[in-house]
Amino acid sequence: MLEVLFIGLSLGSILLLVALGLAITYGAMGVINMAHGEMVMVGAYVTVLSGIYLGANVFIAIPLAFIVTALLGLLIERVVVRRLYGRLLDTLLATWGIAILIQQAVRLEFGLSFFGIHIAGLGPGLQNVSVPEILQGTLSIGAAEINRYRAFIIIVTAILAVLTWLIIYRTSIGMQVRAIIRNPKMAAACGIDVTRVNALTFAFGSGLAGVAGVMMSGFKTVFPDMGTSMVVDGFLVVVMGGVGSLLGSVLSAGILGEINGLVAAATNDILARAVVFGVVIAIIVLKPKGLFALKGR
Amino acid sequence: MLVLNHVDSFYDRSHILHDVSLDIPEGKVTAVLGRNGTGKTTLLKTLMGLTDRMNGEIRLGEADLGNQPTFRRARAGIAYVPQGREIIPDFTIRDNILMGSFARSDGKREIPKLVSELFPYLMNNLDRNGGVLSGGQQQQLAIARALAADPKIILLDEPNEGIQPSIVEEIETVIMRLNREVGLTVVLVEQNVSFARQAAHRFAMMEKGRVVAAGEIGNLTDEMVHRHMAV
Repeated sequence: MLEVLFIGLSLGSILLLVALGLAITYGAMGVINMAHGEMVMVGAYVTVLSGIYLGANVFIAIPLAFIVTALLGLLIERVVVRRLYGRLLDTLLATWGIAILIQQAVRLEFGLSFFGIHIAGLGPGLQNVSVPEILQGTLSIGAAEINRYRAFIIIVTAILAVLTWLIIYRTSIGMQVRAIIRNPKMAAACGIDVTRVNALTFAFGSGLAGVAGVMMSGFKTVFPDMGTSMVVDGFLVVVMGGVGSLLGSVLSAGILGEINGLVAAATNDILARAVVFGVVIAIIVLKPKGLFALKGR
Repeated sequence: MLVLNHVDSFYDRSHILHDVSLDIPEGKVTAVLGRNGTGKTTLLKTLMGLTDRMNGEIRLGEADLGNQPTFRRARAGIAYVPQGREIIPDFTIRDNILMGSFARSDGKREIPKLVSELFPYLMNNLDRNGGVLSGGQQQQLAIARALAADPKIILLDEPNEGIQPSIVEEIETVIMRLNREVGLTVVLVEQNVSFARQAAHRFAMMEKGRVVAAGEIGNLTDEMVHRHMAV
């Protein structure tokens, strides 16, 4: 039983890393970023490639993937998203287009199953990242056998979630982000450079998604489409938690991860997804603004 | 000090302000008068760069602000107290005030001494949420937030609207002190003519998005008030 709860928690952790970025960008800028899932995918590829070329392990891949995806996010914001503020549906379409572009570019370069001709010796075996020895196997806690890699995922997520919380609630830039989420015009009238803060926020959210990709590469196949379902799951978390509420995102990621883990263990993955969707629909019907909606907007 | 030259302003395709030229002198209170819907609020929003589009020239001293984004205008020294106050309900009073300090040119983030002198109640409740305050207290908070920017000029949009009568006088006193004692330049959008006459040195009367009369407050005749403000 404990093992199952643990698996659920690790699933929820990855969901949370994806959702945090979406929660901040959607909350602060009203942008639905469909390319967010591609950041997860790029993060996973950074892990694979840095393993091949730099001999880097997962620990080194985390900051590397964060930097790469954050810069990519910054580029997307500068070139496209910045021009579309206040036009929700346009951002949705434009970022979806970007998502397809990134996906196909990766597919062209590396091939669906890594049969690319550019990289000598790159075979299908490389779809998986080998996890460092220290993270392999299990830990015994009481009677339960805990998968070390999953424990690692949970710890990294916890650290990043706390870090995000500190940035948002304890720093000057975080206060600017919160002010923009609540009232962008008044924030600007108070001297806050909304454009610059938004760009940084976008980059930070993208970076978190990149780290989620690193985590995923350790136990899932790395392929160009892997991010597509993540963006959907991420939005489920954001909507269920309440837009703009970090606490809501944390709780709903945990809840959805656990439901997924529990139902999947009892039946199968397909049914687990159906139940997750059912729960989200029920919550949206009962509480249209999510579990922790911001008041007064 | 603040000069508007042939300013037009738009929301989407609606043309709201037509060819507004106005001179707001330093150290004076300028009252913007007129009925509802004549463009008074839009005038202040245009000064802040909060309308969708504008043409014409806005100069603050030497600086040309017409093409600048909102935050640069705030950092140039224009502080804005909007209609409805727009304080942030789930920020503490402290954070609401400090929000204004992002416009400070020296980058300091502190509550100025002036605020603690003017609003002792706010200073004694810094950790409470802004949303629990009464309308009048929220108005004080919005003024405190504007002052935290250490501004050269402060724009007040109907500061006494929707406020219990007992507090109105307090707010009026604060506005007078800001100008007479602190020396702040004030642009005051006001419906109450008697307060405008008491507080302002100059006036601008608006009708249908244009300034139809402007000058020394002494030249504001009852006939003018009747023609442009009677409902």
